[in-house]
Amino acid sequence: MLKYMVRRVLEAIPTLLGVTVISFIMIHIVPGSPVRILLGNHYTLERAAVLSKELGLNKPLWIQYFIWLGNILHGNFGFSYVYDKPVAHLILQALPHTLIIVVVSILAAHLFAVFLGSVQAYYQDSIFDQIATVINYLFYSMPSFWLGVLLIIVFSINLHWLPSGGIVSSQVSNPGFGDWVRHLILPVGSLFLISVAGWARYMRSSMRESLLQDYVRTARMKGANEFRVVFVHALRNSILPLITMFGLSLPTLLGGALFIEEIFNYPGMGLLYWDAVNSRDYPIIMAITVFLGIVTVLGNLIADILYGIVDPRIQYR
Amino acid sequence: MSNILDVELLNVEFNINGNYYHAVNDVSFHIKPGETLGLVGESGCGKSVTSLALVRLLSKSARVTGNVLFEGQNLLDLADNEMRKIRGNGIGMIFQEPMTSLNPVYKIGAQISETLLLHRDISAREAFVQSVDMLKKVGIPRPDEIMDEHPHQLSGGMRQRVMIAIAMACNPHLLIADEPTTALDVTIQAQILELMRDISNDFGTSILLITHDLGVVAEMCDRVVVMYAGQIVEQGTVDDIFFNPQHPYTRGLLNAIPKIDARSKQRLQPIEGNVPSLTRMPRGCRFSPRCPHVTDPCKMQSPELFAVDDTHFSRCWMNEKREI
Ligand SMILES: Nc1ncnc2c1ncn2[C@@H]1O[C@H](COP(=O)(O)OP(=O)(O)O)[C@@H](O)[C@H]1O
Ligand SMILES: [Mg+2]
Repeated sequence: MLKYMVRRVLEAIPTLLGVTVISFIMIHIVPGSPVRILLGNHYTLERAAVLSKELGLNKPLWIQYFIWLGNILHGNFGFSYVYDKPVAHLILQALPHTLIIVVVSILAAHLFAVFLGSVQAYYQDSIFDQIATVINYLFYSMPSFWLGVLLIIVFSINLHWLPSGGIVSSQVSNPGFGDWVRHLILPVGSLFLISVAGWARYMRSSMRESLLQDYVRTARMKGANEFRVVFVHALRNSILPLITMFGLSLPTLLGGALFIEEIFNYPGMGLLYWDAVNSRDYPIIMAITVFLGIVTVLGNLIADILYGIVDPRIQYR
Repeated sequence: MSNILDVELLNVEFNINGNYYHAVNDVSFHIKPGETLGLVGESGCGKSVTSLALVRLLSKSARVTGNVLFEGQNLLDLADNEMRKIRGNGIGMIFQEPMTSLNPVYKIGAQISETLLLHRDISAREAFVQSVDMLKKVGIPRPDEIMDEHPHQLSGGMRQRVMIAIAMACNPHLLIADEPTTALDVTIQAQILELMRDISNDFGTSILLITHDLGVVAEMCDRVVVMYAGQIVEQGTVDDIFFNPQHPYTRGLLNAIPKIDARSKQRLQPIEGNVPSLTRMPRGCRFSPRCPHVTDPCKMQSPELFAVDDTHFSRCWMNEKREI
């Protein structure tokens, strides 16, 4: 098992390198010299000369790539034009905010979707199942920014229950934990609703399939109750296809998070990214692109490993 | 001694496009303690539906009526939670498909222990020990290692042994085996049958053995119920059925058994035609369209189950006049 995991991590390295190559090429097709772009407001002839030497701009392209790769491996992503700060610093500031809404919404959405899909499958074609299917479909087909705006209109503008954006209330003198949580509810809620709908649909069909299998009849014949039949015997088999889906859908999910942050003016990676796009802050764009690549590869890795844990038929070779 | 199982006028109807059709029709039989009863008939005759109706595992589209008295309790009247106490505990059951009947994601050990933990007030460790013991009893080599393996690591015969271990874990008084060897090749088939015979002898378990193979019946059973199109057509001891078969359907099945005797150049004679579907039951005797001895009254009126003698019954008009 450990061997298998190590092997999968090693196998992910070429993909990660591919991501960095693409990012590297990106900065080279952008008009203007890389030195000017990277130095931004710090541009002086002196610095340009130093950086040129550092980046090895007089050397062949592939050597330049390795120098740059060495830099980012040391966490050196250059300076942001707009913020005048190291990019790594800005990302580290934004990352926890994004992580919290993404992780909380993914976990909650998966748990709820697995439960909802299972119950729908068990009571298939009942009134409950039909209503849930329609609601699922509604959220599934709704664009994420649309849903975000809808939630703001309902819960912030009309009902005044929750703040419409940001992360702390400016009018409160000493915003505490409760205030922070109140700011998280709508962004997390939007991401939750968007992902629950799709996952519940998959879970429903997967569980329907499982409940027809012979081992389910065996479980009933042992004297297991229906709860055990569904949530112990059928469930573990039903989530197998979902784990693969999870790995594949992680980029989409992160993309959704980027949109949501923009709508809620939420100071995470998404907001950083959109601001950078608007102001052509290339070092930030590059760094986040590399970061998204890493997350995508990691997502697939996690899915593979989870799959191996849940399905004993997978061989760890 | 009173019977382990008394089935009285069992009827099963399925809802097909809004209408109810009989899959099992007025089926009555009994099983005595320690006895092995064979339930035979071609595929589609209603054997599996009968067995699943006994333990109430049919889907909700089925309407079941009659009485199923297991050790004096009518299973069809029990509350769901009381029925669950019987399944796996009083009655064990194994199925035709050993390849798919075990849960692929759980270890063999966990799947056997589960039955014990559901019905006995014992610790997980104790359940584990008893499970290893059970694996030994069903003739699994290296039981300790197998406990830690998953179903896909075992052959079909091994999986059926595991299924038997699961079914027998709580030492049930009745074992229902629905075509337990049909999916296995011949040598493995013989081993599994031998195991079931040992179990019946060692534990005194009564067995309802469902099969389409009269050869299996001859080896295993004390009495036989022959089913055709949802009805019992003949019932008797093994000797009655093999040496004095009455119903043309039973004789047809007997002719279809491969003879090992090489000198008899007799060819296998499968019965011509097919088992009717639920929605197209023939009028009169249900076997009449396929019967070599069919007469006009057969097509008009369904015969009842006539007594040939006090253990032997046949649902054929030819047996009507034999009333004493
Ligand atoms: N759930 C069901 N709905 C409708 N018809 C069924 C259902 N289950 C079985 N049947 C029908 O009942 C008849 C008996 O089936 P079965 O008991 O499985 O036969 P077998 O004797 O081969 O075990 C068949 O005609 C089959 O098509
Ligand atoms: Mg069958």
